[in-house]
Amino acid sequence: MGLTNTDIQSAQGVEQTDGNIITTTIDKVINWGRKNSLWPMPFGTACCAIEMMATLASKFDLSRFGSEAIRFSPRQSDLLIVSGRISIKMMPVLKRIYDQMPDPKWVISMGACASCGGVFDTYTLIQGVDQFIPVDVYIPGCPPRPEDLIDAVLQVQEKIASGASPKGVEHLLET
Amino acid sequence: MNEEKEVEVQPKPLVLQKLEEHHADALLSQDETRGTLVIVVRKEQAYAVLEYLKTDPELAYTFLVDVTAVDNSQMESELMQFDYARFMVVYQLYSYQGQCRLRVKVPVHENDLSIPSVAGLWRGANWLERETYDMFGINFDGHPDLRRILMPDDFDGHPLRKDYPLRGRGERESFNFDKQNV
Ligand code: SF4
Repeated sequence: MGLTNTDIQSAQGVEQTDGNIITTTIDKVINWGRKNSLWPMPFGTACCAIEMMATLASKFDLSRFGSEAIRFSPRQSDLLIVSGRISIKMMPVLKRIYDQMPDPKWVISMGACASCGGVFDTYTLIQGVDQFIPVDVYIPGCPPRPEDLIDAVLQVQEKIASGASPKGVEHLLET
Repeated sequence: MNEEKEVEVQPKPLVLQKLEEHHADALLSQDETRGTLVIVVRKEQAYAVLEYLKTDPELAYTFLVDVTAVDNSQMESELMQFDYARFMVVYQLYSYQGQCRLRVKVPVHENDLSIPSVAGLWRGANWLERETYDMFGINFDGHPDLRRILMPDDFDGHPLRKDYPLRGRGERESFNFDKQNV
């Protein structure tokens, strides 16, 4: 269909022998599938979420990269986008949602607040969600532009294609 | 050139006229800030005044916009005015009928932090008073359910008080993330 010979030849780990036969490994094929259909679980708690909505809407259109199927059910998602401030009271909720997502799962920490507390160095705010859940890609900015979020999704895609494990799994293996 | 300067006599707002008539002893001061009338009311009569403002058919302040408080402990000028009462509980009212706003302030001393709840007058006061309790530690007597609303239930202290440190007292580190009801 959409695949040309050049696509096949340039894809990592895919080889074409004569005629219409291509050989690859099952991991590559699975990762290729996962990469191109990430289902995000949005965890938007503040202003960054507005940029996330813009990213999903028609102007920036995350569906060009296969990630438009936003699910508000963690059990159907494999990409958690934390966009906004997380308070100490909210953190157990976020952790619970992360735990409910099936493996392999990926986490994007969007914006200064989610990544390090941002300007809110206050009594109630988590100074970086990575203290509690493993984060794969951080996006700087306050708020980051939609292009930055798209870039982060593409970085996750690259990680998946390269066969790397999510931070959460690496973390498990270490401990 | 003998143009006479026109002196515009502002009629006294109805609400002040009526309060002076019915609750003169409750009024501590009256003022106007950016077009909003501000009155300060003695705590003992606060409930009666608020009830009057809501139920009087001519005033009909039926909409309670907000309840909050101010910690004046570092505002010497404010403290002096009202007998060194540390807190000022603030009620923001609106009358649809008169299309006007009114701010009612009630000084509250630190050694007696209780003030009658108005949740029975305006149902919306329920959560607003809970927030004021949570943030400042004001006790609203007769409130149906005075619990914390923003901070976790086991939180210690009232964070909007001026003596509460901005970065907290270590709650970020000591908070028990596993014991919470999620
Ligand atoms: S990083 Fe900036 S835009 Fe994003 S949630 Fe924090 S304050 Fe809002």
